[in-house]
Amino acid sequence: METKYAITVDDLTVAYNYKPVLWDIDLAIPEGVLMCIVGPNGAGKSTLIKSILGIIKPIAGTVSIFGKPYEKQRSLVAYVPQKGSVDWDFPTTALDVVMMGTYGSLGWIKRPRQKQKKAALEALEKVGMLPFKNRQISQLSGGQQQRIFLARALVQNASIYFMDEPFQGVDATTEKAIINILKELRKAGKTVVVVHHDLQTVPEYFDWVTFLNVKKIATGPVKDIFNDDNLTKTYGINYKVSVQE
Amino acid sequence: MNSAQIIIQIIVALVAVACAIPGTFLVLRKMSLISDAISHSILLGIVIGFFIVEDTASPLLIVLAALAGIVTVILVEYIQKTGLVKEDTAIGLVFPALFSIGVILISKNANDVHLDIDSVMVGDLSLAPFDILQIGCIEGVTDSCINLGPKAIWVIGTILVITLILLFMFFKELKVSTFDAGLAAALGFSPLIMHYGLMTVSSITIVGAFDAVGPILVVALMIAPAATAYLFTKDLKKMLLLSCFFGVFAAISGYWLAHILDASISGSMTTVLAILFLLVYEPIITSILVSLTVGTSTIFYQYYELLVANETGIEHMLLGEKIQTVFAEFVFLDYVYILIIATVLTAFLIYILPKRGVIYGYYKVRQQKTEIMLLVFLLHIRNHSEESERHVKHLNEHINWQRLRSKSIVELAQKNNMITIDSSIISLTKKGEEFTEKAIDYIITNKDTEIEEMKDDFFLFRG
Repeated sequence: METKYAITVDDLTVAYNYKPVLWDIDLAIPEGVLMCIVGPNGAGKSTLIKSILGIIKPIAGTVSIFGKPYEKQRSLVAYVPQKGSVDWDFPTTALDVVMMGTYGSLGWIKRPRQKQKKAALEALEKVGMLPFKNRQISQLSGGQQQRIFLARALVQNASIYFMDEPFQGVDATTEKAIINILKELRKAGKTVVVVHHDLQTVPEYFDWVTFLNVKKIATGPVKDIFNDDNLTKTYGINYKVSVQE
Repeated sequence: MNSAQIIIQIIVALVAVACAIPGTFLVLRKMSLISDAISHSILLGIVIGFFIVEDTASPLLIVLAALAGIVTVILVEYIQKTGLVKEDTAIGLVFPALFSIGVILISKNANDVHLDIDSVMVGDLSLAPFDILQIGCIEGVTDSCINLGPKAIWVIGTILVITLILLFMFFKELKVSTFDAGLAAALGFSPLIMHYGLMTVSSITIVGAFDAVGPILVVALMIAPAATAYLFTKDLKKMLLLSCFFGVFAAISGYWLAHILDASISGSMTTVLAILFLLVYEPIITSILVSLTVGTSTIFYQYYELLVANETGIEHMLLGEKIQTVFAEFVFLDYVYILIIATVLTAFLIYILPKRGVIYGYYKVRQQKTEIMLLVFLLHIRNHSEESERHVKHLNEHINWQRLRSKSIVELAQKNNMITIDSSIISLTKKGEEFTEKAIDYIITNKDTEIEEMKDDFFLFRG
């Protein structure tokens, strides 16, 4: 049987000021995997996600989501940017930020109503942030802010979730809570793509991995390809990681 | 008030609201300075428009001016994108260049034209009520025109209505693209379209407000109300409403300040805006200063009117002489009035203003210190069942506090019904027991939800 791919990337090349950040990436991510992208700083991990989502225009290559261009499949995709990419002093509440997740399904001009509010409240409940719904976002801790971002993605009820370093600057409890939600998503048949930094937790958290350093080094099931050889190729030093059995 | 005064006030109020709305988003997008750039560059558009149609009243001038504003934004982006300089530098490079081309064009070709540098720089409203929009005029027939009222009201009114319609239609798009451009792009709301949409509205608004307040002070009307509102609230809708309110308040009171001082309207409006910002930022000190000034000037003005009515010739004096003459008439009782007015105003301002500023900050730190001590004290009592540890007199030795401090802490705990003292032995009440439990829980687990209701009473838990 042919595997169904959630995301296919062909010959993707992205450059900032004529310096390639991603070079000729071919990637096929099967549906229903919980995948992490690993690689050193500047490897183009965030750029890869952003170009799949059409936020950055590549100079070459194509991306498709379930066989169609991203522009036609927006409703199937949710995105959690890096926490540091927004101004948390923005005058708004936790609930309002989560509501932003519903804007995509509303389209232009239409305003969110009770239905959207209800969905947002449910998402807040799922990440354990319901009591903070009216809290101004600058009054939330780093972990709480990350949960709000996760709730905002959940409310989109997508098939594919992209997350840019969701574990950055969060405590162990929040990290556990987030990974549990991600595992639930996988159980529900969703595809989750996470930019990840902590190599130690890769085998524990993920079942699929992509090694990236400007070029794609390897992609596949964690149990098959998460080894010292690929790590060394990606990080350029003799990398040893003890994989727990 | 005569009708010309009312019309000028309507114009400034409309300008203030029209500026405050895009201004709010500029402040939130950290693009305040772009309004400065646009307001200067539009001069080039106006000059070019004037050379084409040779008429200062043509709508083409407005269109070209707005276009010049948008060109400024595009050039700034372009230079910034090269990665050679940062945004602020790019702004600093672009607008003086465009502005100076405008200046050269005026000085080379329009020396005989009435483009008064003063009215261009700070605006001129005094003639606005008499510049009437007329339609249906038939040449040679007197009284054939239909008067539609002052042109300035029509121009800025139209801009305001368009701005409001756009705001209502695209509020959610503006919000999401301002807060998180990445998400907006992923959801299909092009941040680029929102950016240029906002810039176009800002340019047109600045052009419309140009006549009223001039290019320098229009920046104040865009930025200051929004910056003040930002200190006040953490809700975007409220921030928009408040910046409109501050803008209108500054516009109207600025107009009257100008009237009293016989000074520039736009200058006075900006002064009021600066005072408003200071009031919110540092309420106690500013409100004392402002209310003293208001108190003095109110009574000063009454005296002045009285002296004018008595035909002392005071209106022909220089400002310094006026002040001397009026103060010579002051009686002691008036200083008391000033103090009373100042006190009432200060109390009122402090009451309605949020708690910010140095004095309040000092008070808050002190209060937090007291509360942490209260907690230490309560915890000590809770941890020790032996009577020797709970004796009033032993407390200063054990916790190592000064006598006065221990006394005040014990009193605070007593006042809050957290402890009872039975023959000099302190024990926790049920309330004290619960409070300590919760507070310790919070400090260890950092679980905010548990202590939501405690936050009203205690500084400690407000983070």
